[in-house]
Amino acid sequence: MVVPAFHFRREVALLVAFGAGLWGCERAPLTDSGVMGVFGELGLAPGCFHYPRAIAADPRGTVLVVDKSGRIQRFTATGGLVGGWRMPETEAGKPVGLTVHPDGRVFVADTHYHRVLVYDASGLQVGAFGSEGTGDAQFQLPTSVAIDAEGFIYVAEYNGNDRITKWSAGLEFLQTLAVGPIEGRSLSRPTGLVFDDEQTLWFADACNHRLVRLSRNGEILTTFGRLGRGPGELRYPYSLSISPERTLLVCEYGGDRLQWFSKEGRSLRTWGRSGRRLGELSGPWAATYGSNGTVYIVDSMNSRVQILQP
Amino acid sequence: MTVLALSLPVEFEEPAWLWLMLLIPLLAAAAIRSLSGLDAPRRVLAVMARSVVIAVMACCLAGVQRVRRTDDLTVMFLMDRSYSVQALEGQQEDFIREAAKGMPPKDRLGLIDFARQAFLQQMPERGGYYIPAGRLPTMPGTDRTNVTAALRLAMAAFPHDTAKRLVLLSDGNDNMGDVLADARRARADGIPIDVVPLWYEHANEVYFDRLVAPTYAEPGEQISLRMILQSYKAVAGVVDIYANGELVEIPESQRRVRLAPGSNSFVVKLPVRSTVTQSYEAVFRPDEPALDAISLNNRARAFTFVSGGSRALLITSDPNQDRGLAEALRSEQVAVDMKTSEQLGEFDLPAMMSYGTIILSNVPAATFTEEQQKALAVYVKDMGSGLIMTGGDEGFGAGGWIGSPLEEVMPVSFEIKHKRVIPRGALVLIMHSCEIARGNYWAKEMAKKSVDTVSSQDYFGLLAYTYSPGGENWEVPLDVNTNKDAVKKKIDRIQVGDMPDFGATMQMAFTALTSGRGRDAAQKHVIILSDGDASAPSSQLVSDYIKAKITVSTIGIGWGNHVMETVLRDIAQKTGGRYYAAKNPKQLPQIFSKESKVVRRPLLVEEPFRPSVVLPGSELLAGLDPGEAPPPLNGMVLTTAKQNPNVLVPLIRSTSDGEDPVLAYWQYELGKTVAFTSGFWPAWGEAWTRWPKFAKFWAQLVRWTMRQDSLANFDTYTRVEGNRARIVIDALDKDATYLNNLMQKARVVGPDNRAVPANFTQTGPGKYEANLDVERAGQYLVNVQVYEGGRNLGTLRTGLTVPFSPEYRDLKPNEALLRQIAETTGGRWLDGGAARGDVFRHDLPPSEAKQPAWEWVLSWLVLPAFLLDVAVRRLASRLALSICVEVMILVVLLVGAGVHAGPWWSVAGALLFAELVGWTIRYPYIRPMLESLTHGVRTMAHAGERSEAALGQLKTTRERVRGERLAGGEIAEEGDTRGGAVEPPPIPLAGAGRRFDVGDEAAHAAAGDLSEALGGAMASGESGTQPPSARKGKDDAPAEDLTSRLLRAKKRAQREKKDE
Repeated sequence: MVVPAFHFRREVALLVAFGAGLWGCERAPLTDSGVMGVFGELGLAPGCFHYPRAIAADPRGTVLVVDKSGRIQRFTATGGLVGGWRMPETEAGKPVGLTVHPDGRVFVADTHYHRVLVYDASGLQVGAFGSEGTGDAQFQLPTSVAIDAEGFIYVAEYNGNDRITKWSAGLEFLQTLAVGPIEGRSLSRPTGLVFDDEQTLWFADACNHRLVRLSRNGEILTTFGRLGRGPGELRYPYSLSISPERTLLVCEYGGDRLQWFSKEGRSLRTWGRSGRRLGELSGPWAATYGSNGTVYIVDSMNSRVQILQP
Repeated sequence: MTVLALSLPVEFEEPAWLWLMLLIPLLAAAAIRSLSGLDAPRRVLAVMARSVVIAVMACCLAGVQRVRRTDDLTVMFLMDRSYSVQALEGQQEDFIREAAKGMPPKDRLGLIDFARQAFLQQMPERGGYYIPAGRLPTMPGTDRTNVTAALRLAMAAFPHDTAKRLVLLSDGNDNMGDVLADARRARADGIPIDVVPLWYEHANEVYFDRLVAPTYAEPGEQISLRMILQSYKAVAGVVDIYANGELVEIPESQRRVRLAPGSNSFVVKLPVRSTVTQSYEAVFRPDEPALDAISLNNRARAFTFVSGGSRALLITSDPNQDRGLAEALRSEQVAVDMKTSEQLGEFDLPAMMSYGTIILSNVPAATFTEEQQKALAVYVKDMGSGLIMTGGDEGFGAGGWIGSPLEEVMPVSFEIKHKRVIPRGALVLIMHSCEIARGNYWAKEMAKKSVDTVSSQDYFGLLAYTYSPGGENWEVPLDVNTNKDAVKKKIDRIQVGDMPDFGATMQMAFTALTSGRGRDAAQKHVIILSDGDASAPSSQLVSDYIKAKITVSTIGIGWGNHVMETVLRDIAQKTGGRYYAAKNPKQLPQIFSKESKVVRRPLLVEEPFRPSVVLPGSELLAGLDPGEAPPPLNGMVLTTAKQNPNVLVPLIRSTSDGEDPVLAYWQYELGKTVAFTSGFWPAWGEAWTRWPKFAKFWAQLVRWTMRQDSLANFDTYTRVEGNRARIVIDALDKDATYLNNLMQKARVVGPDNRAVPANFTQTGPGKYEANLDVERAGQYLVNVQVYEGGRNLGTLRTGLTVPFSPEYRDLKPNEALLRQIAETTGGRWLDGGAARGDVFRHDLPPSEAKQPAWEWVLSWLVLPAFLLDVAVRRLASRLALSICVEVMILVVLLVGAGVHAGPWWSVAGALLFAELVGWTIRYPYIRPMLESLTHGVRTMAHAGERSEAALGQLKTTRERVRGERLAGGEIAEEGDTRGGAVEPPPIPLAGAGRRFDVGDEAAHAAAGDLSEALGGAMASGESGTQPPSARKGKDDAPAEDLTSRLLRAKKRAQREKKDE
């Protein structure tokens, strides 16, 4: 038996590289994305979405998603469908904001009907406030609702009436918090209201591509962000969420990415890029931290929710 | 896709390519020679790899397809939502919901609802019916039942990889298209249509069968209107008659009628009080509404042409401006009516037909609806009438007429093509997604419409918020609008997204219009289409727009509701544009032609010039003295004379930059048209109005264009039966003899203002008949040119009215048609609730889905096989080769065949298979190693046994010798000495270099010496080991072989050298 010359190391290296290449071209983009799971696809079936636009995490571990078919669906933390309900009217348009009250009630910014609807955890409507208009206790396209530790309710709206109003726990109008120019620029589509651990109110001034921090009395504490695609820059921030590390998670609708900021406005990291594959986003309207510390991203144009281990 | 996909059958599109496989034996034969340098297994592998490459390439060329068989089922429900079954919608939804309860989890359910059009309401989805009760969107156009549209949509929406079934829920009163033809198509595709009949019956019903009016009347003549009504019961009521929309007073005795069961006929006599075409409508109102189930069928229409002589209609946007022209015409005995667009009333084709010619004096296109524009074109080319268009700042291209149906019939094209320097306009459209149903669809339709209206010399661009890449994008970059079709196709493909604010897109438009492609445009305009829920632009940007004189118009799409107007209104008002709240889709075309014309201002020339006569002999310039030039004009609209020999251009404006037509005319099909591109008295043509020949010139134009009615005097009558109408001509000459073998050229213009030919055939002496489809309710005009042997005998004009859709005539389901649909397609008759469970029964043949597989084959078979071939020949070591093969098999199975996505056992199986092949290849290489390893261990073990045995023997021998010695005296000492001399023998050097069996040989040697010493006492322990000589011989054999082969080769080479 003749033993041929054996350049074992070189040949094995070649083979491994070849195999890895073939394997890799199929799968590489998905590794390291941090995506733990995904749920939903385009459709009207339960568990499917037709352009989802808002998400809210229930402190009890489930998440609620509202889409352009006017359905609010509740999912387990891993994306199993629990149940849901429908908006009473959808002809004029569908909601873009969803918030869960610590007591389990669900507040829906019924944007195109200029009101906020309140549901109990089972989906039974238990209240409503606001009507179309620009006066007190009226709304023009409300986008987002937040609830502070004392139960006061805050609502953001836009369409020439760009402001944030404060309501009592009994759904009575109290005051207008933010209106008029901040640093020389008028608010333009405020949205993404969220309270941090210090009970200050954060929101995204979406069309000015910046974030604003308000005290509960309406004093402006911080603003930062400008239009762009670099770190620290924003493109249509639409939703905010506070991480367990008390940093700020921003979902950029126009930037197709998530960005984390410190409270001082330092960009900590970004995640995501445009596309249709896992780990990629297309026009994401919202992202929120779930009670288990994972991030749920409403990947609107892809009609799905991606679950991210941040 | 799992590993099973591999085992499924494949098919080929063009199997002829498989003959290429014949190359494989040839290649194998060639390879055996060319690869003789390789050892046999490698050669076999290389040949196999190459054969695979050839075979697979042949498969690819032959168009290999994977065939998937499945008995999953998709059921599409077709839900009839037309007027006749509106009351049964809940029943239909219940049926679907109940049927969905029994559906297997892998089956899919889809829903299409239909009336005049069909809409996909639920894509075929697994798991059930998801539309909540009563939540189906409002159905437009319920006045028809169009099963065909639903069938076609369903067949397009079916997924390709399941068995398919259609379930039609309908009353079968189809009144559009040919259902059975499409049913046959479904059968050809193997799709059965199950039918769920919807039962109802209207017992109390009255309907207007028809209203009959004479085709022609003279002004002041008494005419008889005959009304035919059908009733199921005896009913009392009143009949009101309207003439051109106004209630006609008739005596109460004639107005009040009592209907008996069956057919009832009444006659009312009326005087004709006008010179225009009379459109009559009769409405029956029962005293007891309960006796009439459907009220929509209680009216009927008819019309009568009034021969009012040759009249002209002058349509003006400002009567003061055109009063002079009207008076001038009247002074020349031309009967002319002057009306503004508001005075036109219901200006449809029959109304137009009251006039022989129509003058559009500085009237913009937006004055008329799309339908009226079509009617005007038909009025000219199919009805043989005349049309004169004059300019002004709202005439021709400047009036938004570019791309309109009228441009086709005019002698000039409204675009300018002959100029070197063209003043351009620029239009940017900003599309924002509309939240309401079909909002984006209408926005796109309008975008396409504006592409048409904007001249091909102008700039057009479209901005939208889209998702690839995400953000504001120029979906149609601002550029000259030359390739309109391509731009329209592009608009169709746009996926309009939710635009957060208007600022970003308005900024982009601003940049493009001020410093980009559109900076040289003379007129700049932006249109925003939106439902208003985007944020307002900054005030800075708005003031930039104002400074740059860019106007912005905004159109709120929301049909009167659901539009956030504040921002839209604000933008338009500040920038000098207009805000439109579109109340319904029908308004949009007019809004758009009005808006798009803004950019056409550059088409106006507003400077004095004297028109030059270039065709002095023209019939329209008769009366002009030789050498006489008409008076100067102060302005005109730029157009281009059509390149057609029929187009005559007697008056032009001559400049260094070319000649612009001032007067152009031609005959187009049956009608005649004139373009006078100036006008706009008194601003542009003040000198003309004072010109003595002004009246004569215009009278000449009008008379030339006037429709020439030489009516053939034959009796005609028409009859409508359902969707078909019959027109009969009785041709008798003056002597009452039949005229046979006449030829007719007939055009029928329906309510959609489209002219279609009608074919007459002779059915008896002097009797000619034509049948035509009348699918829309409304008025139909028939224009017949009668010829006898090539000689025109004149024109025959008649009309017929389809009073209401046949949908309102259906009193019970059309069971026969429904049964026929089911029978034609092999479908079932699912009557009653019990049938619901059958909908998802799996009794259809499994479906076959064919998927092209050549890409897969190419990437996962050819590539690895090719690389394998290279590896086999180039990789020297067999171990490396085996690993290569193993990896390739793994890659093909895991990635190519998708096993990685399958269950764990399939992954394990793939791994096992790859290992098996790998080890098979490397076995010959590994075997000797293994063998020697196992051999050494075994021999050592044997050696141990042997030495023990030898020791035992030794001891017995010693005992024996000692016994002998004891018997013979001193010999015992000698024996001891001999015994003490037994030592391990030296290791034989000859075997030292041989492989690993050193110990073995040493043991043998030792045992041999021992046995020699012991005199063959070891014989019993020898079994299993070979004699050293035999082993030695065998081990040396390959070395000897190699050496001797080399020697032989050397000798052969030397010999060959010597021979040379």
